[in-house]
Amino acid sequence: MEMKTIKFVINGVKQELRIPPWRTLLEVIREDLKLTGAKEGCGQGECGSCTVIMGGKSVNSCLVPAMEADGQEITTIEGLKNGEELHPIQEAFVEHAGMQCGFCTPGMIMSAKHLLDHNSDPTLEEIQEGVSGNFCRCTGYTKIFESIDAAAKSMKGGR
Amino acid sequence: MSIFFRRLPKFNYVKPEKFSDALDILRENKDGRFRVYAGGTDVIPKIKERVMPAPETLVDLKGISQLNYISHDEANGLRIGALASIHDVSQAPVVREKYPMLAQAAASIASTQVQNRGTIAGNICNAVPSADSAPALLCLGGKALCEGKEGERMIDLEEFFLGPGSTVLGDDELLKEIQIPSAKGKGVYIKLSPRSRMDLAVVGVAVFADVEDGIFKDVRIGLGAVAPTPMRAKTSENRLTGESVGDQVIEEAAAMAAEEAKPIDDHRASAKYRRMMVEVLVKRAIGQIISH
Amino acid sequence: MEDYSVIGKRIPRIDGLAKVTGEAKYAADYEMPGMLWCKIARSPHAHAKILNIDTSRAESLPGVKKVLTGKDFKGWKWGWMPKTREEEPLAAETVRYLGEAVAAVAAIDEDTAEEAAQLIEVEYEELPGVFDPEEAMKEGAPQLYGHAKNNISWDFHMDFGDVEKGFKEADLVHEDRFETGRVITGYLEPPAAVAMYDSSGITIWAAKQSPYFVYRHLAACFGLPLSKVRVIQPFIGGGFGGTKNDSLAGDFCSVLFSKLLGKPVKFVYTMEEVLMTCRRRHNMIVFNKMGMKKDGTITGMHSRVIADGGAHTAIGPLTMYLTGCMSTLPYKLPNFKHDAYRIYTNNPIGAAMRGHGVTHTRFAAELQMEMMAEELGIDPVAVRLKNAISAPYETINKVTVKSCGLVEGIETIADNPVWKNRKEKKQEGPIAHGVGMSATSYLGGARQRGHQSCAAVIRLCEDGSVDYLTGASDCGQGSDTVLVQMVAEELGLAMEDVDIKRVDTAMTPCDAGSYGSRVTVLAGEAARKAAQDVKQQLAVFAAEKWEAKPEDILFKDRQVSVKGQPEKTMPFEQLAKIACYSGSGAVILGRGYSDYGIDVLDFEKGIGNCGTSYSFTSQLTEVDVDLETGFLKCTDMLIAHDCGVPLNPINVEAQNQGAAMQGMGQAMYEAFKMDHGKTLNPTLLDYKMPLATDIPNIEVVDIITEDPDGPYGAKEASEGAIVSVPPSIFTAVHDATGIWFKEQPLTPEKIAMALREKKKNG
Repeated sequence: MEMKTIKFVINGVKQELRIPPWRTLLEVIREDLKLTGAKEGCGQGECGSCTVIMGGKSVNSCLVPAMEADGQEITTIEGLKNGEELHPIQEAFVEHAGMQCGFCTPGMIMSAKHLLDHNSDPTLEEIQEGVSGNFCRCTGYTKIFESIDAAAKSMKGGR
Repeated sequence: MSIFFRRLPKFNYVKPEKFSDALDILRENKDGRFRVYAGGTDVIPKIKERVMPAPETLVDLKGISQLNYISHDEANGLRIGALASIHDVSQAPVVREKYPMLAQAAASIASTQVQNRGTIAGNICNAVPSADSAPALLCLGGKALCEGKEGERMIDLEEFFLGPGSTVLGDDELLKEIQIPSAKGKGVYIKLSPRSRMDLAVVGVAVFADVEDGIFKDVRIGLGAVAPTPMRAKTSENRLTGESVGDQVIEEAAAMAAEEAKPIDDHRASAKYRRMMVEVLVKRAIGQIISH
Repeated sequence: MEDYSVIGKRIPRIDGLAKVTGEAKYAADYEMPGMLWCKIARSPHAHAKILNIDTSRAESLPGVKKVLTGKDFKGWKWGWMPKTREEEPLAAETVRYLGEAVAAVAAIDEDTAEEAAQLIEVEYEELPGVFDPEEAMKEGAPQLYGHAKNNISWDFHMDFGDVEKGFKEADLVHEDRFETGRVITGYLEPPAAVAMYDSSGITIWAAKQSPYFVYRHLAACFGLPLSKVRVIQPFIGGGFGGTKNDSLAGDFCSVLFSKLLGKPVKFVYTMEEVLMTCRRRHNMIVFNKMGMKKDGTITGMHSRVIADGGAHTAIGPLTMYLTGCMSTLPYKLPNFKHDAYRIYTNNPIGAAMRGHGVTHTRFAAELQMEMMAEELGIDPVAVRLKNAISAPYETINKVTVKSCGLVEGIETIADNPVWKNRKEKKQEGPIAHGVGMSATSYLGGARQRGHQSCAAVIRLCEDGSVDYLTGASDCGQGSDTVLVQMVAEELGLAMEDVDIKRVDTAMTPCDAGSYGSRVTVLAGEAARKAAQDVKQQLAVFAAEKWEAKPEDILFKDRQVSVKGQPEKTMPFEQLAKIACYSGSGAVILGRGYSDYGIDVLDFEKGIGNCGTSYSFTSQLTEVDVDLETGFLKCTDMLIAHDCGVPLNPINVEAQNQGAAMQGMGQAMYEAFKMDHGKTLNPTLLDYKMPLATDIPNIEVVDIITEDPDGPYGAKEASEGAIVSVPPSIFTAVHDATGIWFKEQPLTPEKIAMALREKKKNG
């Protein structure tokens, strides 16, 4: 089957790729663009480890045909840092022990970003809802909630 | 052999921009040569797992932007375009205000990521018995506006489902829009699932009722995950309609709904438990409506 | 306690930055030029003879480089002990569980490998299977192995005191049957590796929490000296015991493909493959008999344990050992008998998981003790305090406890207002509130047979920074951070002065791995000793300069000084230069290894210390039970945990919270549903691990004790909490419903059915 061309912007960088049409967005991000931050946990849209933001929405990139990326703007975990400066969510996860093995972390942080992009002052319940599409097996989630809460406060200028 | 697949099988991909183009593609469709999808949150995993045979061509409907809408007017009620996402339906002010049960049901589906991609139309077309939006849509008298090579037809959602994963939609047909008439009354959807998110309903119960002066005027009960298809519990509805609100009649109706359900034993729950829960939840849902 | 600079502080993880930016590389993130992909083909039958394998169609698919079958491994088998070597990389003649690997494909890409794997044709002769361990023990049941009569894979019999006499002395004797459930570790990173076999031997980047196991397995399988096997450890996406402590079909096949084809070979399992075919926790049936006096004193206990071992023995003997040898903690037990049977079935393999072995029998004994206390009218706290041990203590099977925060933990629970007010029945509509407790113990610094020490090498750089090499594996638990804290503390350096490299068996000293809560205790001891060794070597140079005694040289806050002479001080960096530049240049290399607790362990009889030290966990749990639907929500947990001295309190909290969630999953949500050896729910949708919205409020209280056999007084943290969670949830549900449930998981359906039954019987 013929290869197809897609053009999109990822982490602020324009890309043009020739891909077979059955590739998933996750495969293209990880294998073609070598951005291995997004992980494949289950490959079935259940675990959230592959979460990226496409067109302003968090998606499980393992379920998105890469063809759909054409014309889109995508952000992955690698796109959060500003130069050497961590994004406040990343900073909070480090400071508040929001990660252990770290495998779920890129997806978790992208879901947290999606949440805070739409709700700058979430309640604990809203934080829990916001990351309920992301499994973590290490932390018991508690420190993740604390990290997101701290990030929300720091993004509003508080501490 | 048992193989656990990480990769999708080979297929072509097209993204028509006009509804008529999509219909043209499907004109000659049979045996799953063309597989349409909107959100892909159900179709892609099935194809990956080889539960659904690989299509020759995957038809992405998201190019048909005119299908992405949620609109409402008093005369025609609510119209949900085939591409309206679960998230958009759950958050739309008009849905939350006029059809809170549907917003509730939509919000209970899977996860944020799935809600961002998946559509209500897709939730219906997949026809899983536990589809969360189905009991609510059945109660609300939802209809599916479909179109194929023979033209347009309107299908009552009660007639839409044939069995698990199977609907009356022809290979050449597309669901364009879900229509929900305006109705007076209150509705509640209660989903029973072990986890509060990212889970399937063990039992889903939707009840819509119009209670006036202590009389059940119009009662509709939708059940999910307790039969091969989402279903209405009509005997139970009839028992209530026209009756005065009272514990005994509600209890009887709830027991009737449990009787009407046709659940099976599977790894998620036993038929016996599902039946018991239909009774509990129907009672609970009615209780919530009348206490409002 | 001493005034430490970094020990005991809430120090952020040293790998945090790499993990929040996506920089951290896991096994599946590695690739190499020319790399091939390996795919495993598995048996669709639970028990069958392999009659013939036709690989020709697969081999002729363009892009396929080679197909392997069991015969290619020439009969090589591996196992945890010499006499349990029974598992083959690919089954050659018989498959004993559904999903056992039978063939493998190497191809130019993963799509091709997957396509080819489907083309392998295997002719099987199905054999009758056996799936229930109690059935499997019966005469005439299908046999998995000729040598194992009644399918007994392993059994242990321990007998201390006189248990019959104990029962005679009791006022109440109970016999109950408990079941602990079919659960899995649930790490999110499916196993993966990239393997290369070339003239230097084997190099493999593999997701292993105990890399030195696969190192030995590969050396044995390929007939290479250990010096030619190099396991390089990427970041590990969670371990929790079992699969990532062992080797996999994918490991062996990738290496063999690489050897035969001269290219690097990669494999990645899928989550469904993990849930369906990888190692899981043993489901155990525990028949427990306990005797108790009217005052609550336990007079004796006899446990008969039957474990579903699945198709191979794996690490099962240790599991079974732990079910018994730890039963004598945390309560005084004067008479104890234990009969444990690990039974082969045609189910996936039972192996280690956090709370290894102990969680099963403690669940049974803890619940039974409280059931009996209730019958005797004794308060749950009182019965625990009546029997609780305190340090120093030696159990009847010679387990020696040198520090113990059990009583203080139980009192912490008892003093909590929630516990004090628990008799005020709280019910709102159909929701009943329940409060429960538990108090348990777990071993730290696990000891097993063979090489079990940890070692450390510290190399001083001339600028005063140090490289710390350890064979210990951080698979997420935070051990790298705590180990670096220890090195920094000893040398008086800052965290950023100490660099830790991940395990590379060609560079790092041999280590037994991450299991049995051994890293902080044993690798910690080694790290400390290595740092002390560096210090001693450096002190000689400082002493010479200042004409002082080497033992008077102090290292703190990046400064070196002489005790009592504050004017004699210099930066650590300066001393490093003096040492490294001495003569024509010197090498300062510190080394240390652990030797805590090398006393005799009688593995046959269950006598002696299986751990170096023992943690004690007391727990308070609150639940809401919907009396109509059976739905259970755990709302609050208080974990009073004695891990000795918490070396990094934020990490100890986080570990306990994680363990609490995992224990809650086992107790309430998770269970594999099986049908003739087939796992019916091998997805994260249907294997119900808890999500963010299911989590109770989890508070952790540190009960500080100082253990003499732990670095800075530390013991294990968090395996204890996975043991304490299930019994505390079950006692809470009993409080809410009046029903004693004895089987995990406590699903809504079980609760609803039992409540209905209770109502029917009045």
